[in-house]
Amino acid sequence: SAGAPRPLPSSGPKSLREMPHPLATSSSEEMGPALTPSPDLLLPRSIADKDLSLPNGTPVDTSSPASSSSLLNRLQLDDDLDGETRDLFVTVDDPKKHVCTMETYITYRVTTKTTRAEFDLPEYSVRRRYQDFDWLRNKLEESQPTHLIPPLPEKFVVKGVVDRFSEEFVETRRKALDKFLKRITDHPVLSFNEHFNVFLTAKDLNAYKKQGMALLSKMGESVKYVTGGYKLRSRPLEFAAIGEYLDVFSLKLGTIDRIAQRIIKEQLEYLVELREYGPVYSTWGGLEVELSEPLEGVSACIGNCCTALEELSEDMTEDFLPVLREYILYSESMKNVLKKRDQVQAEYEAKLEAVAVKKEDRPKVPTDVEKCQDRVECFNADLKADMERWQNNKRQDFRQLLMGMADKNIQYYEKCLTAWESIIPLLQDKPETK
Amino acid sequence: ILSFRAVESQCEGQCAPVDSLWRRYSEFELLRNYLSVTYPHIVVPPLPEKRADFVWHKLSADNMDPDFVERRRIGLENFLLRVASHPVLCQDKIFYSFLTQEGGWKEMVNETGFQLKADSRLKALNATFRVKNPDKRFTELKHYSDELQSVISHLLRVRARVADRLYGVYKVHGNYGRVFSEWSAIEKEMGDGLQSAGHHMDVYAASIDDILEEEEHYADQLKEYLFYAEALRAVCRKHELMQYDLEMAAQDLTSKKQQCEELATGTVRTFSLKGMTSKLFGQETPEQREAKIKVLEEQIQEGEEQLKSKNLEGRDFVKSAWADIERFKEQKNHDLKEALISYAVMQISMCKKGIQVWTNAKECFSKM
Repeated sequence: SAGAPRPLPSSGPKSLREMPHPLATSSSEEMGPALTPSPDLLLPRSIADKDLSLPNGTPVDTSSPASSSSLLNRLQLDDDLDGETRDLFVTVDDPKKHVCTMETYITYRVTTKTTRAEFDLPEYSVRRRYQDFDWLRNKLEESQPTHLIPPLPEKFVVKGVVDRFSEEFVETRRKALDKFLKRITDHPVLSFNEHFNVFLTAKDLNAYKKQGMALLSKMGESVKYVTGGYKLRSRPLEFAAIGEYLDVFSLKLGTIDRIAQRIIKEQLEYLVELREYGPVYSTWGGLEVELSEPLEGVSACIGNCCTALEELSEDMTEDFLPVLREYILYSESMKNVLKKRDQVQAEYEAKLEAVAVKKEDRPKVPTDVEKCQDRVECFNADLKADMERWQNNKRQDFRQLLMGMADKNIQYYEKCLTAWESIIPLLQDKPETK
Repeated sequence: ILSFRAVESQCEGQCAPVDSLWRRYSEFELLRNYLSVTYPHIVVPPLPEKRADFVWHKLSADNMDPDFVERRRIGLENFLLRVASHPVLCQDKIFYSFLTQEGGWKEMVNETGFQLKADSRLKALNATFRVKNPDKRFTELKHYSDELQSVISHLLRVRARVADRLYGVYKVHGNYGRVFSEWSAIEKEMGDGLQSAGHHMDVYAASIDDILEEEEHYADQLKEYLFYAEALRAVCRKHELMQYDLEMAAQDLTSKKQQCEELATGTVRTFSLKGMTSKLFGQETPEQREAKIKVLEEQIQEGEEQLKSKNLEGRDFVKSAWADIERFKEQKNHDLKEALISYAVMQISMCKKGIQVWTNAKECFSKM
């Protein structure tokens, strides 16, 4: 853990790992000056010496592995990539409808299997509803503001347009909630979060929620808006690049979403016509004698193609579109984290400038400014590590998503192919041979 | 074989300027009219449509469209092949000179005076002639041809809509090509996979043009039988008229015989204006009556001969018509089966292309 003092990778002359970062510049030397526009940057100090605190003022315990330490973050990143050392498994399944006097809602079973010391038991099974997930996400955003929190599926559903209790909707939501928890589980810092632990284990989550609310009101409003009001002169190159990337990325996803929706729409209109087309062959078959069977065969064949097409459209609606939208939401929340980072840096720069302006001859920089600098470096390190992990996961997710889309189309054509190939012998059949 | 070649070169000569094509089409029409009138008991092969019908949005309804012109050319060629392969029609001299004689053919046809034989009553398609003893087989056949026309029209209309929608589905996929390309520009590891997958989406979108072009041939095959149904109906109509004329002639003969009998015996069995006037103005002289009887007897004899020949004509018509109808039925069953098979083959080919493209895309995605 905190052995010999090592420079933080974000501002040191040499990066800890040589692993290429998709957004990284070629050498870390370039990264140094780019990150610190301020000319009077102080030399970094080791983690152990730092009096770290989160941007919202809450002091951080650096001795436990759950600290926002990028060094440990990176080491654990390595561990988590190796599936064998995985020690926490979470699943969301078994949706159930609850009908109460006040409302009707769905709960999902959240099952946890773990060997971690942070958990009292090796297994847990609790029931949670959407608002519980929403609470968890808010808590994570609050308590881990330097990290990228995965998105939740849309909260509000237009009543009347979508049936909140339909099997398809519930299943789509379940998958998204499962993905949400799995992403947190895979995160080396977020997975150790206290609120996450409670979410997975508590029998009565509402009691805990109320407790948390009380604590919050005691602490006052100070928690959230500490760094408000500072304006950043310019975003460092690598974070500007991330911001630009996310802009284009979410734009392109939006376009793909629209294209996919349009395709589904066109497919359904095609389906409407096919449903009229098939039966006409049947009607014709009724007029004929020798051609009766072949025509009926064609009619049935078209019917099979209709079924296959319906399945394709359903799959695309239920499996493809939601994931796209999830990533658009992800991008939006990530852009907000970038803005928060800008705020932290802006605060640091403003305070630093204020000190310089005073022109007081001080041998040592005030701890207040030092704390700000630490916050900036911490944030930058966390964000970069999370971005790297996010990029990799994104690549895997999209690889899977797009391969899935291709697969569904292949299956559709294979079903149609089978249908048409099977009627060839029927069409070629001569009545004499029967 | 020789006449086949002549057909081919004739058709090639027709692919010249629009004017000559239109003239040619009218000559085809003239030929067909001639055959219809001259061989009323034959199900005469139909001509391809004059104007583009059952179009879907991509195919223009423009008669000058080169694809339409080409398909009509093929249709006309097909018409000639049908006539040439018909056991009765192929022997017709006018048909032969249509294939071999460039100038003066029109005059030759008109000289046959076939237009005079044409029954103007046939033009009134839906006018009903009350036939007392209709031939059940022809009635059923006429009903069948009506139903067949109705169902094939419906089929062609829906098929055109299906084609239109399918076109839309394929073409929208082309948009993936563009957006994947744009997206790949901001990606490092994923870029190549996205870019190449996008290319396959473009291929997919483009593939629908050939697919639907091929399907038009299937539509043309159906159209031929749509028009054939009309030809079948025409034969039934002609029989109907024949039967009607026969019954009218028989009826006329019966009434004349009756009149004759009345005059001869002096009894008036049925009420007639003549009878009334004769009562009012006095009866005719025996000489007048004799004269009338003689005229009637002549008419009766003529009528009986006519009726006899009409009966013979009728029986001949039924016999040869029914032979041709059987031939037509077999041809229809064979051709339509072939058409359905080729349609299924087209669908199979389309499915295989789809599988190929998406498999290629999937491989590109797997490299992301």
